[in-house]
Amino acid sequence: MNAHEPSEGLVGRSLLRREDEHLLRGRGRFLDDLPEPRHTLHLAFVMSPHAHARIVGIDASAALSLPGVVAVLTGDDFAPLIKPVTTLINHPSYRPTGRDPLARDKVRFVGEQVAVVLAETPYIAQDAIEQIVVDYDVLPGVSDAREATLDGAPQIHDNAPDNILMADEFKTADFDAVFAAADVVVEDEFKIGRIAGLSLEPRGCLAMCDHIPGAVTLYTSTQVPHLVRSALSVHLGISESLIRVVAPDLGGGFGIKSQIYPEEFIATALALKFRRPIKWVQDRREDLLTSVHARDHRYEAAIAATKDGVITALRVKMYSNAGAYSSFPFGCAMEVIGPRRYVPGPYKIQNSFFRTFGVCTNTAPTGAFRGVGAPGTYLVLEGLIDRLARRLNLDPLDVRLRNTIRPEEIPYTHAHGGQIDSGSYVPALDRARAMIDYDRFRAAQPADRLVNGRLRGIGICQFSEGSGFSTAAWRARGLVAVPGIASALIRIDQDGQILAHVSHTSSGQGHGTVFAQLVAERLGANYDDVTIVQSDTASVPYGSGTFASRGTITGGGAIIRAARELQEKLKRFAGFVLNVDASSIVLEGSRARRSDAPDVSVSFAEIGKVAYSFDPMGFPQGEQPGLEATAYYEPPMATIGNAIHIAIVSVGPEDGSTRIEKYVVVHDNGTTINPLLVDGQVQGATAQGIGGALMEEIVYDGEGQLLSGNLLDYLVPTALDIPDFDLAHMESPSPSTEGGFKGMGEGGVIGGLAAITNAVADALAGTGANVNCVPLRPSRIVEMMDTAK
Amino acid sequence: MTTSTKCEVTLSVNGTRYTRLIEPRYLLADFLRHELDLKGTHIGCEHGVCGACTVLIDGKTSRSCLHFAIAVQGSEVTTVEGLASETALHPIQEAFHQSHALQCGFCTPGFLMTAKEFLAENPDPTESEIRLALTNNICRCTGYANIVGAVKLAAKALREGNPANERA
Repeated sequence: MNAHEPSEGLVGRSLLRREDEHLLRGRGRFLDDLPEPRHTLHLAFVMSPHAHARIVGIDASAALSLPGVVAVLTGDDFAPLIKPVTTLINHPSYRPTGRDPLARDKVRFVGEQVAVVLAETPYIAQDAIEQIVVDYDVLPGVSDAREATLDGAPQIHDNAPDNILMADEFKTADFDAVFAAADVVVEDEFKIGRIAGLSLEPRGCLAMCDHIPGAVTLYTSTQVPHLVRSALSVHLGISESLIRVVAPDLGGGFGIKSQIYPEEFIATALALKFRRPIKWVQDRREDLLTSVHARDHRYEAAIAATKDGVITALRVKMYSNAGAYSSFPFGCAMEVIGPRRYVPGPYKIQNSFFRTFGVCTNTAPTGAFRGVGAPGTYLVLEGLIDRLARRLNLDPLDVRLRNTIRPEEIPYTHAHGGQIDSGSYVPALDRARAMIDYDRFRAAQPADRLVNGRLRGIGICQFSEGSGFSTAAWRARGLVAVPGIASALIRIDQDGQILAHVSHTSSGQGHGTVFAQLVAERLGANYDDVTIVQSDTASVPYGSGTFASRGTITGGGAIIRAARELQEKLKRFAGFVLNVDASSIVLEGSRARRSDAPDVSVSFAEIGKVAYSFDPMGFPQGEQPGLEATAYYEPPMATIGNAIHIAIVSVGPEDGSTRIEKYVVVHDNGTTINPLLVDGQVQGATAQGIGGALMEEIVYDGEGQLLSGNLLDYLVPTALDIPDFDLAHMESPSPSTEGGFKGMGEGGVIGGLAAITNAVADALAGTGANVNCVPLRPSRIVEMMDTAK
Repeated sequence: MTTSTKCEVTLSVNGTRYTRLIEPRYLLADFLRHELDLKGTHIGCEHGVCGACTVLIDGKTSRSCLHFAIAVQGSEVTTVEGLASETALHPIQEAFHQSHALQCGFCTPGFLMTAKEFLAENPDPTESEIRLALTNNICRCTGYANIVGAVKLAAKALREGNPANERA
């Protein structure tokens, strides 16, 4: 819909994206597509082949003799340029692990960078990498988090003798008594494999000095330009005012680009040192070695219940593999503190006991990836509910219904203090049940379990999705250096065109479209008059950036506030032009009208002429020139959306293959700006959840050697692996946020992982196989069935 | 085995002949992107799996990250920039837009080239044929359903003789 859109009713409409045309024509500007300035130097990294080793010596003489090689630098060269990067977490147990931009004495994971090359072309830089000889004294390594905590395990950091970086405990007052008094307790261990975010565009950056003395600009494939700017300032010792960070088009992010990486500090420091543009673009192997991984959790968990299936208590012990360093800026805090805040989600479980550990190992650091700790936590909770239902011979959907927050119980406060201010838990469950014809499937299942030689099962994941965290919500996780704010600066120029600067970065979400819909509606402007600008710290006011599904909540909130302020000014100027009081002006269609005489109006362009003093009629007394407003927005604590996924799968008992036969999703993210794009987010996230359930796994050997460093070994879903989804929206706007928005970018991963896993478990229910470990690759399913025999 | 002697390569890209002096080891993907400034061909893995760098070489889909430019000397190469006219998108591109078949857009050029070859060979495909053809490429954002829908829509548009936007 490219025609002029009326301003009314823009929110809630499935407009096609304005971003599409340039991407479809191949005119996107991703990092590696930016014009390269003359004299750009190409940066490449020497990476450790060992998981744990002392660096004895580095000989770069052969590399330096290659024509076109400008410099080779090692860790010691960077010591005066960049401070070690330490993730700050305010928690009594936390042991910070400073990370030098290049390893100095010791490497702690395969892929850790030990030297850099600067060369005239990327090809020469790669040649030089191969000529650098690093002498290592190899140490024993450990890749498994639980093993790393055992006596005798290799010690990775001096200040963490047991390799535990962080440990947290949370117990409600009555837990012990309630747990002990339960009619029934079901418990199990669960393992969730390590996965990669795998944005299709690898990471990269381009740093260059500016025309202002001492100033530097960093183009980088990041979701968080302002956080990168702040981090550069702190670690390079430059004023934040002299740093500009720009994120060009991002080829996917999914959280891994919300982490800040050594390469970004190094490229910037080198641009300042050599006074030449510095460019680095990683390849896929480097991405799989060095970009943060995610998950890699082990759980020991139990639920207690009455004989009627009312869940009374939940106990979770969890080991999270943090990798070799606490990644920046989130570290392992979201994994360690998160679980008790994600659940009980939709359920009224008032007693819980969580013990969680963040453990360092000789593997790549783990960090943010879509869903973070929630997919694992719900895999455990939803898996236990199914086990409870089987134990009590009750239907698993009925057990869920029995424990789910009912409409009349909202607002509902959880034991950990989290508040559900709105939601459609029971109605969504009922709707999904009808969409997949759940009762008929169950009724037929005893006779139809084996169809055409394949075992059929149905699996459910009901969950809530916390997102749009405020500063206080990050503080509650111990993250003292992560703000929870967003900003919008909306400006109307003298020609009536509207430019809205929003402190977010799109990696495919379509902010350029949805934010324009919101600006136009809230300002009373034509959609086509609005342009969205993002991702450049030189033109956009400060904001935390785009992660944890905060875009619409926080960017939307800031837009609403800025538009409200700008509307007031527009009305005052229009009142001046039309000679009425501002209170009798109505704004619509990029025009200001008299409410009592709608035919009398003035366009935004005409108001712009007055506001910027191009109009001979003069200027209203006491007003400042210009038509712009800036607003910041910080949502209350967190918004909580809800959703339910139900999948029907069939499993080949001989080959362990899983096929998805049918998949339904009902979700509720409050106010929806563009349903088409919301569907796209749900479909894409669910595909990633299915990937995690069935195939994706980063595999290290016991000592930390990476065995899945390419896309033939790290499998992601293709078009043959993902079904068509049957989607339904429900809308329960949040009464606590501007606009009523709730985040929804991650729910699909949460639902996809547990729904598929539970469906496979249901299919195998008669075989005795315990489905408690993902991904469920065919070989693992066969192994689970063999173990049960 | 460092900088080797440069040699001359001539090939035709999107209907224009180019001659350049390059190293024999220079990849076709780098040649298109850095010698010809055709940045629509993206590099996602450099080992031939993800399909983001897919181009047509003499009408056949090929991974431009797995070819040396010198090895396709004399060939006709079509890249994503060769699909649309200045004024109108190609029907496959238009179908992707209408179907919301792209999010970040990094993989999209590769999918478009795969779809172009596929629909030329199979103008009226079934859904399972489309899905099989699309395994040539990885998309990390969309979950594929809308891409499958876009290829269906494009097939229909092309069959119904909607070549108004079709160049060449």
